[in-house]
Amino acid sequence: MLLRLNQASRIIKSGGKKISLLDTINLNVKEGEFISLMGPSGSGKSTLLNCIGMLENFTDGGYVFLEEPVHSMKERDKTKLYKEYIGFVFQAYHLIDELTVQENIETPLLYKNIKSSERKALVADILDRFNIVGKKDLFPSQLSGGQQQLVGIARALISKPKLLLADEPTGNLNSKQGIEIMELFAELNIEGVTIIQATHSESNAAYGTRIINLLDGKIVSE
Amino acid sequence: MIFNYIKIAFRSLLKNKGYSFLNIFGLAIGITCASLIFLWVEDELHFDTFEKQDQVYIIPTNQKYDNEWRTYYSTPGPLAQAIKDEVPGVVRATRSSDEELMFTVGDNAINRMGRYADADFLKIFSLKFIEGNADTAFNNPEAIVITQETAEQLYGKQTKALGKVLKVNNTDTYIITGVIENLPKNITFPFNWVAPFERYRDGAEWMMEYGSNFSYTFVELSPEANFETADTRIRQLIPEKTDDSDTQAFLHSMNDWHLKSKFVDGKKAGGQITYVRLFSIIALIILLIACINFMNLSTARSEKRANEVGVRKAMGSGRSRLMIQFISEALIMAFIASFVSILLLIILLPQFNLLIDKNLVLGLSNPMHIIFILSITIFCGVLAGLYPAFYLSSFKPVEVLKGVKSTHGSASFIRKGLVVGQFTISIVFIISTILVYQQIQHVKNRELGYEKDQLISMKVNGNMIEKFTAIKQDLINTGAVKDAALCNSNLLSDGNNGSGLTWTDGTNTEDVLISFRNISSSFFNTTGMEILEGRGFSENTAKDSTSVIVTESLAKLMGEGTALGKQITRGDTYTVVGVVKDFQYGDMYETSDPVLFYNYHDQARYFYLKTNAEVATPDILSKVEAVMKKNNPAFPFEYTFVDENFNARFRSEQLVGKLSQIFALLAILISCLGLFGLAAYTAEQRSKEIGVRKVLGASVPGIVKLLSKDFLKLVGLSILISIPIAWYVMSNWLQGYAYRIEINWWIFLIAGFVAILIALVTVSFQAVKAAIANPVKSLKTE
Repeated sequence: MLLRLNQASRIIKSGGKKISLLDTINLNVKEGEFISLMGPSGSGKSTLLNCIGMLENFTDGGYVFLEEPVHSMKERDKTKLYKEYIGFVFQAYHLIDELTVQENIETPLLYKNIKSSERKALVADILDRFNIVGKKDLFPSQLSGGQQQLVGIARALISKPKLLLADEPTGNLNSKQGIEIMELFAELNIEGVTIIQATHSESNAAYGTRIINLLDGKIVSE
Repeated sequence: MIFNYIKIAFRSLLKNKGYSFLNIFGLAIGITCASLIFLWVEDELHFDTFEKQDQVYIIPTNQKYDNEWRTYYSTPGPLAQAIKDEVPGVVRATRSSDEELMFTVGDNAINRMGRYADADFLKIFSLKFIEGNADTAFNNPEAIVITQETAEQLYGKQTKALGKVLKVNNTDTYIITGVIENLPKNITFPFNWVAPFERYRDGAEWMMEYGSNFSYTFVELSPEANFETADTRIRQLIPEKTDDSDTQAFLHSMNDWHLKSKFVDGKKAGGQITYVRLFSIIALIILLIACINFMNLSTARSEKRANEVGVRKAMGSGRSRLMIQFISEALIMAFIASFVSILLLIILLPQFNLLIDKNLVLGLSNPMHIIFILSITIFCGVLAGLYPAFYLSSFKPVEVLKGVKSTHGSASFIRKGLVVGQFTISIVFIISTILVYQQIQHVKNRELGYEKDQLISMKVNGNMIEKFTAIKQDLINTGAVKDAALCNSNLLSDGNNGSGLTWTDGTNTEDVLISFRNISSSFFNTTGMEILEGRGFSENTAKDSTSVIVTESLAKLMGEGTALGKQITRGDTYTVVGVVKDFQYGDMYETSDPVLFYNYHDQARYFYLKTNAEVATPDILSKVEAVMKKNNPAFPFEYTFVDENFNARFRSEQLVGKLSQIFALLAILISCLGLFGLAAYTAEQRSKEIGVRKVLGASVPGIVKLLSKDFLKLVGLSILISIPIAWYVMSNWLQGYAYRIEINWWIFLIAGFVAILIALVTVSFQAVKAAIANPVKSLKTE
């Protein structure tokens, strides 16, 4: 089992009122799954992804990742855990403008203290695999949206994560680029990467092996 | 890792050229300014660096007048020997008096200042002999030891000077028994030659008595000596020898000669050290202002960097790593700024040297300087980077990646606080600059009691006294000179003085110090002093030899009614024949002591000329020179202008004045750079709001007002804070001067107005730019 959520909730206070963003979620994810989270805006898809990715915290309930109790962990240990096992893909790509393609992809490795020679080899591999060797010295602003997202995915995969979290990965792309990205996800999934994506699109969701529908912070159907 | 930081720092520098420029330029100015000040401070701290600096002392005397101790460096002649004989721990002691001598070798004649002293002098000051040696140099009573520079000027570089016979003042012969290495520039009591004291004023009788204070006394303590014991014993000496407890000698360490040589009521009261400390603090403040700019601009730019922080955190960067990254960016900026400032220093140092009349060198080969500039750089980098690092690294990744624009209230509060801080300092500088300038002008324009303009001063030499009448007539005949006079001391300086006079009504002035001037009859006309009562001296000195003239204040001291006709006894008895207006000499900030004039010029040392204002200065000089060459051919024509000498007396005040002008200007410039950057960001941040307002019908002036208002409020607050600070600091400074200005309220008004004006110009540039932008553009970007 990759991760287990047990009665996990996230409640925040806003203007003196309590708002429940996630409400008693129970979810088990096995390694090798490809899960699509669906639901209207504000249903809690992104919050759930962020909480699973440990960028935000559940305020209540249990979260066990690779048999480790995330809910009782210190911030530093969480960082250690997610930088080892989790990769993020964002809707707005979030590449660092001042870095080239190659350097953007390399960034997570820097934070894992991997040696320079090894980093170079890993980056070269992934550039090759994604067919963007020719673009390695370009800056994000010189790429199309689809290419930028490709770089974003390459960056997420460089540290060989067990779990890839993608929040609307095709939201800013046209349909052709979107299909390419989804096919890439399916391929990665076959190679063994567990993927959880949040999406509005039925067709994108269909790439997943399991579809979970959220509404008002609750799982309404699977 | 660090490479990655450097790379990203450089790229973001290049990407935001404008802000990089503001940051680096501001910081570079700050570092340049601080470096200049610290170079000056270093120079000030390295004075009198003789080998035995810790063991050598000068012996000043405290003399009591009017129940107040005054401190002088002059001591009685026998004191040095007495100290050497009777004070435990003193190993060497010397008398020493300075004099200007003319050396002649062939056609080459030069005037050089030097000192007559005892043989111990050579060892006390550890003089390094190139030729001859300190043990035997003074064995010959006709000996003279000269510096290498003087030797080269006399004999050239090739010739050995040792053993040469030197013609001095055209009458005496000296034998060069030693050539010493040139002395360092920073010396409190400089000299170009040393000769045995016995030849000073031909060994006059009065020099052997305790009654007259005229020579300096230097002593050397053994390394083991106890300062307290020696000092206590020295304080007892003069009262013991003379039964006069109103004069006390004491030890004053060579370490303090330059920086701590001010005495108030007989006690040490700082001196130049005050300015050294003051300027060190100012240097730090300017660095601080420059760092504040950096912090402000960095945090203001934070929204642009927020995304990067979010991504890096999501990629697994911890907070400490981000902080290291931001601090290293600041450090890189600081290093670039340092580099720029070294270039600026190379350009500016010669100008700065001219301004402060020093010869500072950048000295980049000096490891201390390198360490220093590195420390300043690192200090600035860390200081400037710390706050942005804390602030930026605290962003929550989810929020910034979602694009939530959080209202960072604390950051904008701190930013505003920093701006207020910068402007407060700048306004304090503006106010101080105005006040220092006013004070200097105030003293310079003081009623002096004489006309310092069109007045030339020459040192008396050769037959200037014997042929005085002829010279004077020749000078007047040229038409360039109106009158000429002799005096035994410099018009601007303290000269001979004493107390213990009696006069007609028997009033004794034991406690009041009176100055004595021996003058020729033409003195009052030449210097433009006003005779209030009675008459001036007769040209026939023999006829008027028992007459004296007094100043107003002395006349008042002599009791009610006119002073004319009263008798004054000082050794002999004299009759007062005239009263002149008080005049200002010595310390220009104090009230000068009363003066008694004698009609006697046989031992005059100064020759004064009143020139004709209608003749051009070069003409005057060439005409005077011709007359002097004719009547006094053996001596070179050397002169000074009294008004220039007068101005030179305000060197340290003028230095403070000039430096505070520069600092005020730089502080404002740096602050404005910061304000300019902040205004730009504010305008950028509010571009959408401005767009909406314009679409809804707001006018351009309305928007400019909207954007400028907030900044002006900050400047207004700064004015309110700075006024009491400036008032406190400056009234403390002015306390040091007896003759001083009042602080006027309108100065604060002007300073405030200037600050607001500058801030308005700075901000409105950005505000206008934002206000006239097409609203469609700013609205489309959202």
